[in-house]
Amino acid sequence: LDFAEFYRRSADECLRAVLVSVGDLDTAQDLVDEAFARAWGSWRTVGRHPAPVAWVVRTALNSNISRWRRRRREISVPDPGMLADPPMVGGAADSPIDPRIMAALMRLPARQRQVVALRLILDLDTGRTAEVLGIAPGTVMAHLGRALGALREDLMPERQQEPS
Amino acid sequence: MNDNELITTVRQSVADVHTITPVGQIMSRGRAARARRRIPVLTGALGVAAATVLAVTTLLTASHPAASHPASGHDARLAAFAVTRQADGSIQVSMFHQLRDAAELQQLQGTLRADGIPASVTFIGQQNPACQAYRMPPSDQPISRSVRQGGFPNSPLSGVLGSPFQNPVGDAMVIHPAALPRGSGLQIAVMRGIPARPGGPWPYPKGSGHAVVSVGLVNASPQCTGS
Repeated sequence: LDFAEFYRRSADECLRAVLVSVGDLDTAQDLVDEAFARAWGSWRTVGRHPAPVAWVVRTALNSNISRWRRRRREISVPDPGMLADPPMVGGAADSPIDPRIMAALMRLPARQRQVVALRLILDLDTGRTAEVLGIAPGTVMAHLGRALGALREDLMPERQQEPS
Repeated sequence: MNDNELITTVRQSVADVHTITPVGQIMSRGRAARARRRIPVLTGALGVAAATVLAVTTLLTASHPAASHPASGHDARLAAFAVTRQADGSIQVSMFHQLRDAAELQQLQGTLRADGIPASVTFIGQQNPACQAYRMPPSDQPISRSVRQGGFPNSPLSGVLGSPFQNPVGDAMVIHPAALPRGSGLQIAVMRGIPARPGGPWPYPKGSGHAVVSVGLVNASPQCTGS
């Protein structure tokens, strides 16, 4: 597989997956660009990877954690639990992201967001997702179930308020 | 809403997100990263020679302390940048990664002011309204332009700012405080979130048509530049 063709086919979905995980489009774009640049530098290896998109997204997410750790040493971060900058929720009017859904995603724990990114956006199967994240397949399914439950509650609050 | 509907909703929420980076730019970034990885090898090979040069430099420094020691005596290494006073009195601002937080801009502003440069540092579009463009007779024109490689012909900024250049540790610009017209200060506006990458041209990102940093002369005042 040619790198340029791979990039053309998969850059958008990788960007969406990382965006769902980190919550900020600028950050996601930079992380994905960096990950693809690394993939280009190691294309002999990455090109033979069974799921190159998973390699790119995992590299981008690892870079985000490294970046956060560097910044934690350098300046105080208001919320150390956040692995990304605050999302652009309710940001620019021409933003391509639905702010309500992005806000709901950002309320999920980081691991659940990663599972959502890999399973739902990249459409990886449970086994591959588990391999990428270094967790058991059962844990992936548990995270996904909890994430979907939380998103459903978050996105349909009016249903909760209805009398049972 | 069942699971399938929910999954479709989540997918559709980001369906209009598309990358803006051409593949050529990715490859350039990869080449730059590869070149940076080779630098430590080269550094090791030249270690002995470098040690010799360092020893000579150290001796020269010790014999000319007034010329080589910073007036303010500090080399500020902060989150995303470093501000260093050089032997000729100029101030070098090095960017190590993108400036994203207002706190980082405040730190840069405070460091520049501590080094004697009346400065206002903000994101582009959020300039301090208290700042008034500095006008130098006889042109009576506001003096402000985006930083471009190649200098600033026919502008007082050409003396204040050295041409942007690449340095071994990051990307830097040089400010000559002595060249600031009397009563003026610098208004530095940074585009939020644009990466300033080591090895890349600064302040322009490679392949971009957009200025990352805009520098202008403004009237120095406590409300604008701190003094």
